[in-house]
Amino acid sequence: MTDFMSYLVLGITRGSMYALIALGYTLVYGVLQLINFAHSEVFMSGAFGSYAIVHLLVGDGKGTPAWAVPFVLIAGILSGAITAAAIAWTLERVAYRPLRKRGAPKLAFLISAIGASFFLSQLAGKLFGRLTSNSFPAFWDQNHIIFHLFGAPVRTLQIVIVGSAVVMMLFLDRLVSSTKLGRSIRAVSEDAPTAALMGIDIDKTISRTFIIGGLLGGAAGFLFGLNFSLGNTMGFLPGVKAFAAAVLGGIGNIRGAMIGGLVLGIVENMVPVVHIDTSWTDVVAFVVLVLVLMFRPTGILGERLGRAA
Amino acid sequence: MSTVTESMSAAKSPGADDLVFEVQHVTLRFGGVTSLNDVSLQMRREEILAVIGPNGAGKTSLFNSLTGVYSPQEGTILCRARRASAPVSVIGKKTHVVNRLGVARTFQNIRLFPALTALENVKVGVETRQRSGPVSAMLGLPRQRREERESTRRAYELLHRVGLENRANDIAGSLAYGEQRRLEIARALGTGPGVILLDEPAAGTNPVEKRELATLIKSINVEDGVSVLLIEHDMKLVMSIADRIVVLNFGEKIAEGTPEQIQRNPAVIAAYLGSSADEAEQDVLSQPELHRIDTALSLDELTGQQIARAEQADTTVDQADLGDGGEKA
Amino acid sequence: MSAPKRTNPRTESLKRLVSCLLASLVVALMWGPQEGSFGNFWFGITQSIFKPRVLVFLALGVVLFLVISFWPKVVPYLTRPGVGPLVSGGVTVLAAQTLMHWGDGIGDSKFGTVATAVSNTPGIAPLTKAFFGWLCWVMLAVIFVLAALAIVRGIKVLAWVAAGLSLVAAVIAYVAHHSVVTYAHLLDHSLGVYVEIIGYLVIITAAVVTALSSAEMAEGRVAVNRVLGWRPGLPLVVLGLVVGLLAFASATWFSPQNFNATMSDTHERFRGTGLAPLAVQYLIWLGWTLFAVTTLVGAAAAYLRNRVLGWVAAAGGAISVVLTLITIYDFSKLAGQLHVDSATGPWQNLGAGGWMACGAFFLIGAGGFIAATAHGSVREALARAADSDVVASGRAASTQFLSAPGAMRSGIMLAIAVALFYPPTATGFWQSVLVSEIGIYVLLAIGLNVVVGWAGLLDLGFIAFYAIGSYTTAYLVGSLPIKPPSWLHMSPLLAIPFAVAICLLAGLALGAPTLRLRGDYLAIVTLGFGEIIRIVAVNADGVTNGSRGPDTQVPHPVIHLGPIHITWGLNQLQYWYLLLVFVVIVLLAFRRLENSRIGRAWAAIREDEVAAQATGINTFQIKLLAFAIGASTSGLAGVFFASQVGFFNPDNFVLNNSILVVAYVVFGGMGSLPGAMAGAALLTWLPEFLKDQVPAADRQMWIGAVVLAMMIFRPGGLLPARRRAIELRGFDGAGSQPRAVPASEGM
Repeated sequence: MTDFMSYLVLGITRGSMYALIALGYTLVYGVLQLINFAHSEVFMSGAFGSYAIVHLLVGDGKGTPAWAVPFVLIAGILSGAITAAAIAWTLERVAYRPLRKRGAPKLAFLISAIGASFFLSQLAGKLFGRLTSNSFPAFWDQNHIIFHLFGAPVRTLQIVIVGSAVVMMLFLDRLVSSTKLGRSIRAVSEDAPTAALMGIDIDKTISRTFIIGGLLGGAAGFLFGLNFSLGNTMGFLPGVKAFAAAVLGGIGNIRGAMIGGLVLGIVENMVPVVHIDTSWTDVVAFVVLVLVLMFRPTGILGERLGRAA
Repeated sequence: MSTVTESMSAAKSPGADDLVFEVQHVTLRFGGVTSLNDVSLQMRREEILAVIGPNGAGKTSLFNSLTGVYSPQEGTILCRARRASAPVSVIGKKTHVVNRLGVARTFQNIRLFPALTALENVKVGVETRQRSGPVSAMLGLPRQRREERESTRRAYELLHRVGLENRANDIAGSLAYGEQRRLEIARALGTGPGVILLDEPAAGTNPVEKRELATLIKSINVEDGVSVLLIEHDMKLVMSIADRIVVLNFGEKIAEGTPEQIQRNPAVIAAYLGSSADEAEQDVLSQPELHRIDTALSLDELTGQQIARAEQADTTVDQADLGDGGEKA
Repeated sequence: MSAPKRTNPRTESLKRLVSCLLASLVVALMWGPQEGSFGNFWFGITQSIFKPRVLVFLALGVVLFLVISFWPKVVPYLTRPGVGPLVSGGVTVLAAQTLMHWGDGIGDSKFGTVATAVSNTPGIAPLTKAFFGWLCWVMLAVIFVLAALAIVRGIKVLAWVAAGLSLVAAVIAYVAHHSVVTYAHLLDHSLGVYVEIIGYLVIITAAVVTALSSAEMAEGRVAVNRVLGWRPGLPLVVLGLVVGLLAFASATWFSPQNFNATMSDTHERFRGTGLAPLAVQYLIWLGWTLFAVTTLVGAAAAYLRNRVLGWVAAAGGAISVVLTLITIYDFSKLAGQLHVDSATGPWQNLGAGGWMACGAFFLIGAGGFIAATAHGSVREALARAADSDVVASGRAASTQFLSAPGAMRSGIMLAIAVALFYPPTATGFWQSVLVSEIGIYVLLAIGLNVVVGWAGLLDLGFIAFYAIGSYTTAYLVGSLPIKPPSWLHMSPLLAIPFAVAICLLAGLALGAPTLRLRGDYLAIVTLGFGEIIRIVAVNADGVTNGSRGPDTQVPHPVIHLGPIHITWGLNQLQYWYLLLVFVVIVLLAFRRLENSRIGRAWAAIREDEVAAQATGINTFQIKLLAFAIGASTSGLAGVFFASQVGFFNPDNFVLNNSILVVAYVVFGGMGSLPGAMAGAALLTWLPEFLKDQVPAADRQMWIGAVVLAMMIFRPGGLLPARRRAIELRGFDGAGSQPRAVPASEGM
């Protein structure tokens, strides 16, 4: 039971990060019907941006006063989110919009995104080194055990991750369901030409969708960096997983992405519970994905951004 | 399909028991919307049967049910497209299987393979009846070559038939609207059908093209012995070529009979004039001198613009429906 | 999509300026000198941007801005006859003088290094010194300006002058390079001078096209087509003439340890050593005579459009190739037996000369062949083509590239000549790149093109089938921990049908349950499949020997068939020709497939799945077929790979490679066989080429940038397929709206 619970806690932590990244895939898919393959690099750039700021604020992290920690965390999340949003916006302008204006085939978008992904991750490697195991300065005791949940230790960092993820997702849910921007995003997802006829500026909506996806992905980058490590190739695997999570939940569906992320995170961490060697984790994750798709061909919650709210 | 002379000489006396389609009590629902409600109809061999009705009456839904795109929840559809075959239920069969039974169709919004040439479009149709597989194609075996020659020959024949032989090597997407409609018919004929379902073949064509089309449909029916099921808004066309007419309204069959019977049928006139028709039609039709559907009078000549607009809306709906149906299938 | 906005032209151009400057800063970062690190976070950026060097990049940005701003004024000139060749020729020469090797053995052997070395060498010829010092740049600049003027102003005399000067420049370059090589007694495999000569030849073409163009040929491509199609086959004969002259007059035929021997030197070297009489005669006079005769006959055949002469030239070319091969085999074998200057045996220690001679004869013969088969005048040929089935599959449009009669076939012949006779002259490094990178990925790209390009299905796990093919081979030859039953134990080439069959089954097994999923779901499921296969290979120790790969070497292929005994060893060339056989077989089969009912059914599904179903196509079955055919192709590649490398491990089959193969196909042009091949060849060649140009670690970045730029500026890829190109362009006919994204595009 304790084992189960502690894996569950780990799973929820990882799952909420997947969910944040998956939202980026799902939002962009909603408005463009495209897999934004470069989203993993948006996520990575968020981690790098937040590292720059956090490093600036706390140096090597020694002697950071306790009262400053929440501010540093908030600064980290914000800077990560903003950097990633800037990258996402640029990405849309450079790698997507010209193709959209030309009416390129869908695969061309995918390849352009793959090119951008290679480019960004390697440029980051050139500028900031190719070490994959960098970590944030130790400015707080992130592994302090706050309480036990059915015997499973729950640590500070896990609370921060899950807490901020939940806050952001609630925020996004409100945004999409009840603001003007959210309405235009949904309208474009449902039927872009009609939305354009209704006076919605499609370019602007798409741009902003990328920005929102970037904000969430960048925040996830910061949290991921705190939890694991930083490096120019850090985006790839979480990116693939989050994409799988988005598909699992029903791509284009916001709540689906949240649920898909959680499910995938939990499934991955549950692998040792059922006595499968952890080296098979990815196999299990993909098999679950395939099985879900077999029986629910459009994901857990089905497609369409518009239906989410 | 090569029963040309036979069927030409054969008197047009379709036996009531030789049915191409036998639709009984078919009901088709989408969620809460009932798009076909207890529809029964019979289509006889080698007749031209027209289905008319206001927009949204369920005509295209009927087509999609007949071709296996939709599976109606209730009722039965038996099909015996080719003379020699035994009646088969269509419901639950995949579209391509239904096509192989001998049911070919065209689409309301033209659905060609636009980047292929006209010739290739027709060849695709012809070749669905061929057998040679990938290995013989890769090795260029004699049988494959023979079939390839055969399909080219047949495709040219059909292009000639619809008057497009000089556009054979043009990209289908670059053809004029009326030409695309005819090409779609040629492609459908390529599959060697016993019955062909034409969904508004005259939409968007000019009067000259309409006359040609009427001749073409007649000749397909008479010379090739292919039964024709036709959806059309152009009353003049319908009245001039249809042997019998079925009228749908709100998913229900409200009348059936010869053109003359239909023109006099009060229920039909009510349907076209009543609350069911959209306001544009009402406006026009409520003018006193237009109080009946006349062979000399085509709805879209009167209300060209409104109907075009309505058709457009209809088209998008149909597209969405078809898309969903395709996935389900 | 959105309503057109009223924009202020000044803010527009300000925006443009800012983006140009930003772009130049990004390039400055990419070209940066330093790698930073997390310890010194901003180092990389400060080193590349906050230094004077950034001014150069900003200046480039401004230039870019100006070009874009005045683009509308430039455009009308760009379609003039000769502009395309002039620019590409100029760029080629420039590339030769900056990036290419000019003398192996001198430092990094690039042009700059060689030039420095030359300027430091007192005793070298003044012309050479001048060429490497300043003449090369001046010549290029003068010729370029002259040709450009000729094009813009339409001055024909200038064009002829430019053509003449280009010829002189090419000769000077050749002489200068040659004198360096002879002066330093180098073993030379460098290509710089040849690329430069080709560049100048292209410029000559540009100038000639300009000079010959008239008002009716206002469009550049039409003019090029006119020149190429003037006498079908003649361009190949001329090319063969140039290559042959180089081969017989000056190229190295025999190069053991310490010297380079031209053809006549080779004859001297083997005088009185008992060389077979045929080879002796060839070296003395037969080679030259064959060359002269075939060239004359070929040229006459092309010029007179004489079929008989054409066939004679073709036969002469073929015979000459064989005689040349016999000759170089004879003397290299003899040299090995006599240990002439530590020569090692047959086919070893050969310079480029013999192979170039083969290439020349091949080209001349091909020219004769084309002259013999492309009968009638241009107009007749076009008229006939309009009726034939060739055009039924739609290849005629006068402005289309390479649409001149015989041009397409000339291109193919040239490609065959290069594929056959270039690899032996390449260095060992490039030979291994050709085999294990370029060749294999070309084969994989051809396979994936069936799935992605033709059937329009996005497969992100394609490399898994390659892995399955490799492991199947390893199993069948007994290199895995689990051994096959003894009756099944076999040599690698015999494993081909089994590996292909297993991959076919794997393709069916993956496809059957998943192909009903829509595009994006299919993408992630195939991706997952690819990863699953790799992880299984890593973890199933008892079966696959885990991450170490097969525990004993997969043997190299052998053929023992009656009197024929061929054993493949470590020589990459042998594998190249084996691979070439595979590629050609697959290519021929797939080309037939593309134009068969199945190829058309794929196109139909891709364009409109609903209509395809309604026309009676079993879409599921036909998609599954694409999956299976693609998979079996990569199974074939897997067999080749396993038996070529001997040892491999699961790292050869990572997800990245799957994505790269997709990128190759799309980069080259989805659905077009030449496109997929060109894409794969170019993008696998590029990293090896960049190895010399940029830090090794940066290569992926540059590839990413190239792919991105390609998709932005030419989303249809390098050589888009006809059908795909139309899907992309939309239609101008009435009735159907341009459909930007085909209804059932594969993702």
